[in-house]
Amino acid sequence: MHMPSHRPFVLRRHLNKARWFTLSLVFALLVALPFVHLYQTYAAAHAYDLLSPSERQIYDVMEALTGPFTDDPAADLDAIKGNTWSATFWSLKVSDPLAPLGQMAAGLSVPSLSFNWPFVITALIPVILTIVFGRFFCGWICPATLIYELNSNLAAWLRWAGINVGNRHLDRRIKYAVLGAGLIGSMVTGSVLVAGIYPPAIIGREIYYAVALGGFGAGAVFFLATLLFDLLVARRGFCRTICPGGALYALLGRYRLLRIQRTVEDCNDCAKCNAVCEFGLDPLRDGFGQECNNCTACMAICPTDALTFNLRLADLAAQGPGHLGKRYRRQHEPIIDEAA
Amino acid sequence: MERRDFLQKPILAGAVIAAATLPYGFSRLLAPRGETGAAARRRNVLRPPGALKDANAFTAACIGCGVCGEVCPPRCIQFHARDGGGAVNTPVIVAAEKACTLCGKCMEACPTEALTPTPRDRIDMGVAEIERTACYPWVDRGICGACVSICPLGAKAISFKLWNQYRPIIRSGCIGCGLCVEVCPHPSKPIWIAKRQLGAKGYRHG
Repeated sequence: MHMPSHRPFVLRRHLNKARWFTLSLVFALLVALPFVHLYQTYAAAHAYDLLSPSERQIYDVMEALTGPFTDDPAADLDAIKGNTWSATFWSLKVSDPLAPLGQMAAGLSVPSLSFNWPFVITALIPVILTIVFGRFFCGWICPATLIYELNSNLAAWLRWAGINVGNRHLDRRIKYAVLGAGLIGSMVTGSVLVAGIYPPAIIGREIYYAVALGGFGAGAVFFLATLLFDLLVARRGFCRTICPGGALYALLGRYRLLRIQRTVEDCNDCAKCNAVCEFGLDPLRDGFGQECNNCTACMAICPTDALTFNLRLADLAAQGPGHLGKRYRRQHEPIIDEAA
Repeated sequence: MERRDFLQKPILAGAVIAAATLPYGFSRLLAPRGETGAAARRRNVLRPPGALKDANAFTAACIGCGVCGEVCPPRCIQFHARDGGGAVNTPVIVAAEKACTLCGKCMEACPTEALTPTPRDRIDMGVAEIERTACYPWVDRGICGACVSICPLGAKAISFKLWNQYRPIIRSGCIGCGLCVEVCPHPSKPIWIAKRQLGAKGYRHG
C-alpha cells in the first residue's frame, strides 16, 4: 500500500539538483579555462612586471586559486584543456561524437586525407555512455542546456507577466534532416560545417575567443538567434527539433539501457511531469522515446515517486491511467464495491 | 486542413534548414575579396607547426575545437573569423603580431591529424624571405641583426652574409616559425614567411 506520509528519503528526487550542479560546473569550467590559459601565458613569460593592471588582476586571482595545487602552472595546468567539443583530461582526449562524424564527412571531398582512427577513438567514451544512458549529454553536460533552461524560466516569467511567448509544435524529425544537411554540407564544402551550428561546440570556442582573443565571433550571434528561437517560436525548440548533435545522440541512445519509467500503481495523473519536461515529452502516458535525456526533472517533481529508473532496452507500452488517479478509480469503483 | 499541414511542414523544415546554414553564408558573404586593409596586414597568415601540407586537407581535418590555441604559451594561435571563409574557426598564426616559439604543445594537444607531432627540423610552416631593398643593413641604413639573433634554429636557418656582418641571409634550414618577422624593427616588415610550395628558394634577389 502506498503511504505518502512515510515516504523514505529517495535519492533520485535529488538527481535534478545534481544535474544542475553538473551543468553549472561544466559551464564554470568553460569560463575558467580561458583565464587559466591567460595565467599560464603570463607565468610562462615570467613577465609579471610588464602586465597591465587588469592582467595583473587575472594573474593574482588565478595564482590564488591554483597556487595550492601547483608550483609550475605553465606545465601543470595543461591537465584540463578544451571544451565540450573536444577536451583533454590528463592527456586523455575526449571528443563529441559529432566531431569525428563531421570530420569524416568533410574529409570525403579531400582524397589525400586518410581515415584517422586515433581521433575516432576519442569519441568512444561518449558513444558508449550514450548507448547506455541515452541523450544524457543534452541534459547533464551540454553548456548550452544551462542557458536554454534559464531561457525557459525567462519564458515562464514572461508568460506569467502576460506576454505571449512561442509555444509552437514543430516536428522533432527536423533535426535528423539538419544533421544530414550539415554532414552533406560538410562534405560539399570540405570543412566541418556542423561545428558552426552546434551550440556545445560554439559556446566553449566563443568563450575562449572572448576571454583570450578579445572578442566574440559569428558563433555567438548564432547562439543568440537560437535563444530567441526558443523564446519566440518553441520552448526548447532548438534542442528538440534542430540540434544536429542532439539528433546524433538521440539516434545513438535509441536503445539505451537506462530509462525513466512510470510505476502506474503510484501515479495519480497529476501531469506535473508533462508540465516540467523541457523536451515536451509525455511521461504521464509513458511516452519517453529516444528524445528523453534522462534529465530527471520529472522524477524530482513527481509528488508520489511514481517515476523511477529502470534497465530496459525499450519503453513500457502505455499503461493507462495511474492507479491513484480519479480516472482509474472511477473505472474500477464497481470492482472495489464488490470486494467490500 | 490536411493539405495545409502537408504544405506547411516541408516549408517549415526547409526554412529551418536554410536558417541553419545562415552563419556560413554570412561568413562567406562578409569575407573580404582581396588583400585590402587588415587582410594585407595579415599577409603572413601561417598555419601552426605540424599542420597538414594540403590546405584543403587541413580545413577538412580541423574540427575547430580551439584546443591548440588554448595550450599555446605565447598565445600566437588565433582563429579565422569571417576572413577565413570556409576555413572559419581554423587556427592561424599572424607572425607579424605574435610568432610561434616552436614549443610543440599545439601538435600534442590537437585531437585530430590536422596538427601532427613533428620533430622540430621537419616542421614546415613556410620559409622566410627578405626584401633586400628595405632591410636596414641591406640598404646601408645601420646595423641590426635582430632576425639572426632571435632565430631558434641558428645558423642553419638564417645567418649573416660572409663579407658583411649585419646583412641577413636565409639558409635552407628555415622552417618558417616567423619569430624573425615578429622581431623585425622595420615598420614595413621587409622579412616575411612565404609558402615553400610556391617555389620559394629561401631568399630573394640572388
